[in-house]
Amino acid sequence: MNRYFYYNVVLGTMLNLMLFIPHILVKYRYTGAISSMAVAVVIGTVLSYTFTYVIQTFPGKGMPEILYLFLPRAVVIPTLLFMAAMWFIASSIALIGYAVLINRFFNPDTSAMIVLALLCLVCIYAATRSSLSVMFMMEMGLIINTPLILFILMKSVRSENMSWDAIRTVANYWQQMPQLAPVAAASYLFTGYINFAIYNRLTPPNFRLRYRWIVPVFGTVFMLISFFVPIGFHGTETVVHYIYLWSVTSDALIMNYGFIERVIFVFLILYLNLTLIYTTSGWHQAMEFVKSCFPANKPDVDQRKVPLSNWIITSVFGVLTLLHLYFFNEKESFQFASGWLILRLFVESITVIGLFILCVRWRRASS
Amino acid sequence: MKHKPSIVALILALLAAALSGCGFKDIDKRFFVVAIGIDRPADNPKNYLVTLKLAVPSPKIEPGAAKAQIESVEAPTIAEAVRLIKSYVDKELDFGHCKIYMLGDSLAQQGYTDAINWVSRRRDIQNVAYLAIGKPDARTIIQSNPPAERYPGNTLFLQFGKDGTESSYIISTYIFDFVRRVGEHGLDPVLPIMRKEKEEYIITRVALLDKEKAVAALTPSETEIFNQISHHMTKSTVTANVNGEIMVLSVNKITSRYKIVKEADGSHMLRMTIKISGIFEEAPMGVYSADWAKLEAAFNKQYEFEANSLLKKIQQAGVDPLGFGLRYRATHKGSEQTWKRWQTIYPQLKFDVTAKITIEGTGISD
Repeated sequence: MNRYFYYNVVLGTMLNLMLFIPHILVKYRYTGAISSMAVAVVIGTVLSYTFTYVIQTFPGKGMPEILYLFLPRAVVIPTLLFMAAMWFIASSIALIGYAVLINRFFNPDTSAMIVLALLCLVCIYAATRSSLSVMFMMEMGLIINTPLILFILMKSVRSENMSWDAIRTVANYWQQMPQLAPVAAASYLFTGYINFAIYNRLTPPNFRLRYRWIVPVFGTVFMLISFFVPIGFHGTETVVHYIYLWSVTSDALIMNYGFIERVIFVFLILYLNLTLIYTTSGWHQAMEFVKSCFPANKPDVDQRKVPLSNWIITSVFGVLTLLHLYFFNEKESFQFASGWLILRLFVESITVIGLFILCVRWRRASS
Repeated sequence: MKHKPSIVALILALLAAALSGCGFKDIDKRFFVVAIGIDRPADNPKNYLVTLKLAVPSPKIEPGAAKAQIESVEAPTIAEAVRLIKSYVDKELDFGHCKIYMLGDSLAQQGYTDAINWVSRRRDIQNVAYLAIGKPDARTIIQSNPPAERYPGNTLFLQFGKDGTESSYIISTYIFDFVRRVGEHGLDPVLPIMRKEKEEYIITRVALLDKEKAVAALTPSETEIFNQISHHMTKSTVTANVNGEIMVLSVNKITSRYKIVKEADGSHMLRMTIKISGIFEEAPMGVYSADWAKLEAAFNKQYEFEANSLLKKIQQAGVDPLGFGLRYRATHKGSEQTWKRWQTIYPQLKFDVTAKITIEGTGISD
């Protein structure tokens, strides 16, 4: 099970490149982004270590089951619904962002609504599968896409068009005080572990998680790349003017003898795959949270027959996502995402610490 | 699974909806723009004159067989001009393969801001396309038909980059690089100047630009030194005149590094060391037995003089295309003050170039 945990971590970290995270960080490049990133590393590491302690205490139990052990139904159900909303929003932000991106770069003549509807259909279908299938899907998707993504990132880091002076200039602003918005944005890179709130149902008894240092190390490396490489390519001033920062950065790369010269199209397709997997996984978890509210629900990680409730819940998610795109424009979506990131930081910290306290009390009581 | 047929039907219905609204046009209903020129017309400098070179597909691929259609339209804005051109032609314009954007000389002199805005905002314009200045104007350059061209517009951009010719007089500027330099504090843009002679393109000079317009142009020999310092261009030469004999060294390796140091009297000095090694390409017979150390010293002296005067010329133009300001910001405390201080330092900055030229050999004869 070890590797499935790290698939979640790696997916969460890599996907951030395409979300608004680098843009938010770059906005604060002179006013505390560097120190905020340092704070985010600490927060992310502490939270992930704490959370893995909790899931190892309750192998085979998801967060709903853990909560039901300790708290009355009246408290648990609102909490679960709230969690479902958090997961749903996280993945929908990614999906909407991607639909707009496809509309902008691939085919401006097709409306973003139609693109999003098609993406939603894929995600609805995939999210209704069992937890185990979703995990396998994630494994396959990552194994296919990650090597090429890493190749492109290496190419960008080693490009001769990178201005290391610009990077050093921004790095010189490390003395500024950290701020909330960039801390929230940067800590989102470390947040893949939280998916085990549901996927912990898959862990065998006596589950021991090894190599936990991968979380901070991988997160930090990716955070530095996603922040500094665009600065190296677009300079300390111009970088802030690009909304789709990494799309534009990948367009600054050329593969002369690759079968497609412009890296951007390869890059966008790779990240499309990741976004679909991420949203599938997010919706699946949100669905499981909702289903856990019903007393009759028996979590089954590998059901043969897909229950009708799966289809209904994920279809509602799809419709809500479409409605969001219909009612909000790009700018409002961005503000929504920035606000949500800050909310997420607090919710996540409270969740993890709350679970940790429950866990410690349980250990004391049982020993 | 009993829902399966209905789900499949739903998916197919939605796919069909997508197909009808989709913007795909066949390749034979598209015109691929291979070069764009943007000018300020002489008689009406408020307007833009936009010239597009449209590739005409041809079954023959042989030198000189490249066919292109040229369209130019004058309008108050670039976007309007492009829209107008769309009504001149029968196929949809596609900018996705356009590799060169050319600014007219007069436009560069008057201010390039609007043109660059248009280029950097359009999503279908490649960030890795080349940008250049056309002299006397962009339209003349775009219109010419080089005799050896195999594909329409190919010659225009083979001259840039490292795919075709590699000349030490050509500096290639990508759009993203130009846009970054326009915004950057402490780094200013440069553009190659393209001229037309007969039906060929000649690029030997580089224009220095500030944040709004072109301010100076370097001579071909200055361009070569600039290329050696900034891009470490190895397919270049170093020339020296020793006792009335002209000697030319073909460069194998260049490294350059510099430091901005504060002198005891409070003024600032830029110390640059350039290490060049190469072999003789042109020298009198018997140079093998001459004293190489003396020759190297002569090379050093002349190179130092030329590099020093190049840096001074750039400084007097009030621009910083080599990024000295950015280096200053990178090596000093991060604050607004650092940048303000540099703006007062740069006009008074002194230069001290040390050249270390090594002769590696005399070619295949002595």
